[in-house]
Amino acid sequence: MEMAIMDIVKYAVYILIFPGALFTCVFGLWLAGVDRKVVARMQKRKGPPIMQPTWDFLKLCGKEVIVPANAARGVYMAAPYIGLASLIVTVLFIPIGGFQAFGSAGDTVVILYLMTIPTLAMIFGGSASGSPYAGVGASRTMVSIMSYELPLILVLLAVGRAAAPEGYYFTFSLAQIDVMQQLAGSFLFDWRLIPAAVAMLLVIPCEVGQHPFDVGEAETEICEGPLAEYSGAPLAAFKLSHAIKMFVMTALFCALFLGGVTTGMVWLDVVLTLVFCTVVTLVCMTLLHAVSARFRVEQLFKFFWTVVSGFALVSLLLVWFC
Amino acid sequence: MLPFVKEAVQQLFSKPSTEAYPAAPAPAAPGYRGRIVFHADRCISCGMCERVCAGGAISTTSEETEEGTLITRRFFLGSCTFCANCADFCVKNAIELTDDYHMVARDENDLVVTGTYLKKKPAAKKPAACNADEPESTVKPRDDGLPVSDPAKCVYCTLCAKKCPAGALTVDRKEKIWKLDEDKCIGCGTCHEVCPKKAIIM
Amino acid sequence: MFKKLIDNAAAKSPWLYHINAGSCNGCDIELVAVLTPRYDAERLGFKLAGTPRHADIVVVSGPVTVQSKDRVLRTIEQVPDPKVIVTLGSCPRSCNVFKGSYSVAGPLDKYVPIDVSIAGCAPKPEAIIDGLALAAKILKEKREAKK
Repeated sequence: MEMAIMDIVKYAVYILIFPGALFTCVFGLWLAGVDRKVVARMQKRKGPPIMQPTWDFLKLCGKEVIVPANAARGVYMAAPYIGLASLIVTVLFIPIGGFQAFGSAGDTVVILYLMTIPTLAMIFGGSASGSPYAGVGASRTMVSIMSYELPLILVLLAVGRAAAPEGYYFTFSLAQIDVMQQLAGSFLFDWRLIPAAVAMLLVIPCEVGQHPFDVGEAETEICEGPLAEYSGAPLAAFKLSHAIKMFVMTALFCALFLGGVTTGMVWLDVVLTLVFCTVVTLVCMTLLHAVSARFRVEQLFKFFWTVVSGFALVSLLLVWFC
Repeated sequence: MLPFVKEAVQQLFSKPSTEAYPAAPAPAAPGYRGRIVFHADRCISCGMCERVCAGGAISTTSEETEEGTLITRRFFLGSCTFCANCADFCVKNAIELTDDYHMVARDENDLVVTGTYLKKKPAAKKPAACNADEPESTVKPRDDGLPVSDPAKCVYCTLCAKKCPAGALTVDRKEKIWKLDEDKCIGCGTCHEVCPKKAIIM
Repeated sequence: MFKKLIDNAAAKSPWLYHINAGSCNGCDIELVAVLTPRYDAERLGFKLAGTPRHADIVVVSGPVTVQSKDRVLRTIEQVPDPKVIVTLGSCPRSCNVFKGSYSVAGPLDKYVPIDVSIAGCAPKPEAIIDGLALAAKILKEKREAKK
């Protein structure tokens, strides 16, 4: 009985504080703030304070919530929170510096499924709002999902193959991937997996909806697409999911390619991983945002299914045969 | 894309080109036309500014008091185009456009510039003894009933030329010329009435 | 405490929505200048929002022509509370040189209350920053006045 209570407390802490809701929100908003600040500096501007996304989030919480007359109210209001919840669940499956709240034999598959939910929530919410901008945005978001899912699966397969234990073709367990990297060194320095790492770096901004690949939420073209009709707290939830996605995807990159860096102390490993997350954000999202213009929808699709998928496939073949 | 990457990284480690404006003052460029300042004591009520104002921002109200007419000129900056036509046309340089650009207001009255001055009652109503002190005009009215200007009083504000229905008057402020085309003049007396300095005699 | 935090945030993250109600484009260019690296309004938290639903501050430029009147009013209605309406330049405040034209239905304060007017034709970017900072302050006041 006592054990059961201890377990409940432990899992409650995992879900609500670390690495769940509270920590993810705070670190996600911090990452978003760093991203905005550094983009501004790269464009020779002073840029907003690091706290800016937090202020934005708090402000949106205090705004009036408008539900359009022709919106499907239930879906419209529920979608942002479903997306946010699924993202927080995703974090529990990603090892942060070797610390994994919930482990399973099929982590990567679970993550693959969970990561589509926020994007689907955005599509459903947008479609439910009844705005033509949201309609265009939803269809574009669908194209971007199809674009990045294929290379993402190929990357996960390549890494899974490289980390597979004796006698297995693949592993889908992130814990196993971490163990393998502790033995063989980080996969980022494995020459066979470098193309996969490059592909992953390009998948991250597309998944997050960052600048060169943000066809679905193009602010200047289609008024942030699916978010066009949202205001107040639901919009705040979407903005928060966007920030958290940055953290989730960079943490996933760290787990896949930068694992096995251990100092012996768990908290130091966690801090180290968070630093890596920030660096990955700066490289793949901030720098790319500052130097490139938005892709068109069909360009995005073509780019991801040829170049990025190509990189990931090369890696998979190399891992398989070398 | 590579040159952009180089530029972005370079900028990341150099000073931003952003101005510190709200923290540090930013003076306007020389010749900037900003908030209007009206020197009421110089105004001669010729009304030229009101006439040339493009945005219709200038209005005048008057109030009769015992000492004379209290005239208030009102400049509404919320309707001003800052073209400086009023300042250019003002003969007495009573209007000035400063380089103050901080024209932000919650209340409409914060955007209003006013000036009040007293226009004393005409000397004719004063006792005759005082009247004698004033120098007698050297210009005599013409016999044919056409107007004539007293150069001692005229400020070349061009108001008479603007008002003249026949376009018979030419006034050049710079050259200080007041010329009447006798063939065109119809002797209506409008110029005599509008002259702010009562310089036209008929 | 949480309410106070949100109240403070209201002044720190004002998002703009810009409506051109028949403006000559002078004020619009100056507003864009405010977002350039030289003035960088983003450092004060200002951001140009794509849709009125995300906006806190509605910036109107132009004398509100007959054609644009309905659209301007409809757009302003769509902005969630608390909102602040800012007039940019002399036109929306008084119609300026377009006063009395057959095609002008302004000024704007015939239809909605104006919170902040920025005078100038067109205003200097510094003056616009002044006006927007004042608008952000009003936003906080309105937020505090609620409940």
